[in-house]
Amino acid sequence: MNSTLALARAEVRRLGRNKRYSFFSVGLPVVLYLVIAPSARHYHVYGVAYPAYYMIAMASIGAFSGALTGNAQRISQERKDGWIRQLRLTALPANAYVIAKIIASMVITVPSTVLVLLLGRFYGGVHLELWKWFAIGGTIWIGALAFTALAVAIGYRFMPDTVQPIAMFVYFVMSILGGLWFALSGFLAKIGDVLPTYQVTRIGTDLISNQSVPATAYITILAWFAGFVVLAVIAVRATAETV
Amino acid sequence: MTQGRMGASGAPVVSFENVRKVYGHVKAVDGLTMDLRPGETVAFLGPNGAGKSTSLDMLLDLRKPTSGTIRMFGSDPYHAIKAGRVGAMLQSGGLMPEVTVRELVALVTGFHPRPLPVEQTLKRAGIASFAGQRVDKLSGGQTQRVRFALAIVGECDLIVLDEPTAAMDVETRQAFWVNMKAEVAEGRTLLFATHYLEEADQAADRIIVINKGRLLADGTPSQIKARAGAKRISFRLDRIDEPFLLGLPALVNVEIRHDLVQIQSTDSDRTLYALLDAGYRPREIEVSGVGLEQAFIAITAEDDRDGNGTTPGRSDSAGVASYAQH
Ligand SMILES: Nc1ncnc2c1ncn2[C@@H]1O[C@H](COP(=O)(O)OP(=O)(O)OP(=O)(O)O)[C@@H](O)[C@H]1O
Ligand SMILES: [Mg+2]
Repeated sequence: MNSTLALARAEVRRLGRNKRYSFFSVGLPVVLYLVIAPSARHYHVYGVAYPAYYMIAMASIGAFSGALTGNAQRISQERKDGWIRQLRLTALPANAYVIAKIIASMVITVPSTVLVLLLGRFYGGVHLELWKWFAIGGTIWIGALAFTALAVAIGYRFMPDTVQPIAMFVYFVMSILGGLWFALSGFLAKIGDVLPTYQVTRIGTDLISNQSVPATAYITILAWFAGFVVLAVIAVRATAETV
Repeated sequence: MTQGRMGASGAPVVSFENVRKVYGHVKAVDGLTMDLRPGETVAFLGPNGAGKSTSLDMLLDLRKPTSGTIRMFGSDPYHAIKAGRVGAMLQSGGLMPEVTVRELVALVTGFHPRPLPVEQTLKRAGIASFAGQRVDKLSGGQTQRVRFALAIVGECDLIVLDEPTAAMDVETRQAFWVNMKAEVAEGRTLLFATHYLEEADQAADRIIVINKGRLLADGTPSQIKARAGAKRISFRLDRIDEPFLLGLPALVNVEIRHDLVQIQSTDSDRTLYALLDAGYRPREIEVSGVGLEQAFIAITAEDDRDGNGTTPGRSDSAGVASYAQH
């Protein structure tokens, strides 16, 4: 376990140094929030003020894009390069690579999410009880965990040049139809209803507006989470011979 | 304790028993049986696609044999690897990018149950001078040396290298073998695949040749050379009597061009004496050794001919008794 953690630490260090990763998971959501939140101050969506909705949306965008596109691309590339094979020759326990990737992804999600939530509090004027901050952060974090599992599935299954379009496609469908770029209503909201991204946002806005969160929101997220984990396990098992 | 050690040292370090690996209709490894004894340095030779990497990957538990068993230190390879008893360098092994060489070596050292000091590993692998550089910014030969460093980060009993010196320049390759011999001098067993036959000849106590997944030859470098005809004899002779030349003792191969005769023989003295005893007085006699390279080509070419279903034993290349007249 100690050596798996050492590998996870090295992964975190690498991610921290990676400019592309920092741009998509921290830079972009922070800049968008700074630019857009004040101009929409007087609108209301999902029963909350726009800056409150947008805080959750941007925190989710940052967390999910890093978890999905960043990890999928790296895993696929490292598999192709033979780094995973190299690690299998060490005394590291089996699957240490995947476990370290997941740990690193979950650690690196924390500062970017916290940063956007802090912006919401001090720049967007969102005021909440302490436990709600943790509940919102925790929900986004669970969502990021689900997308990390999907990234493992995609990264193990496809070659780097195919991973890029696949991950981008999933990312755009999930973020647009999940209402992360703009709030959904009517028909689009009906589609969004089945997506984990939409449900993460709605849990957040329901918490802020003091509404009770429907059980289906949690069930939807957990169902996607379970589905992604199954895909990841199948992909890792199926490629045991070729990594 | 002592008893355990003795028991272990008697067992083969590596054993392949009728190992096969099939991909569709390609028999990558086809019934390979071999043993490695403690302390041996074994070169694993074979043309491209012979099945070397497939065999080594199966030994390192990266691929599963279709059938047959592979044992390492008397148990399953997975356990030996997880106990840190094997240092390995793959043909297709990659490195973690975005970190420095030193960081990478330190990281992998931390995984080893019997780690050696990082600075010492950097020195032994000859990478101390660029230890601060980023792994993804190295040249091909530097990368190869870093991969070697990862194979020697801890104390191990067996080293497995798949084409370790590919991409190295001449000087680096020589330095590599100096370091490697030091590793082996400490009693480790070494198995390495290579296409550089001089390096097999100089470094190995034993050579295993495979082709099309099957074992072709197994012996010391001099035995392998002897198998293909250890000496080449050439001379000029005016009245050539072909049947007599073909009947000479210890003969492997005869080539005749006008009055020039070239013979490969496993015992040049006997062949030559028989010729002289029969009353011949050849001119411009030269006797020279056959290199491992020629022996290797002869052995694999012979196998390819047999496999292709053509009449064995008739060709102007070395390996079997034959002759060609031009
Ligand atoms: N994953 C695979 N799928 C299908 N065929 C394979 C696979 N891996 C190897 N082979 C085939 O098995 C045979 C042996 O390949 P291998 O890589 O072991 O050869 P090698 O002796 O290492 O050659 P080289 O000197 O070129 O490295 C080849 O015919 C190769 O095409
Ligand atoms: Mg090979």
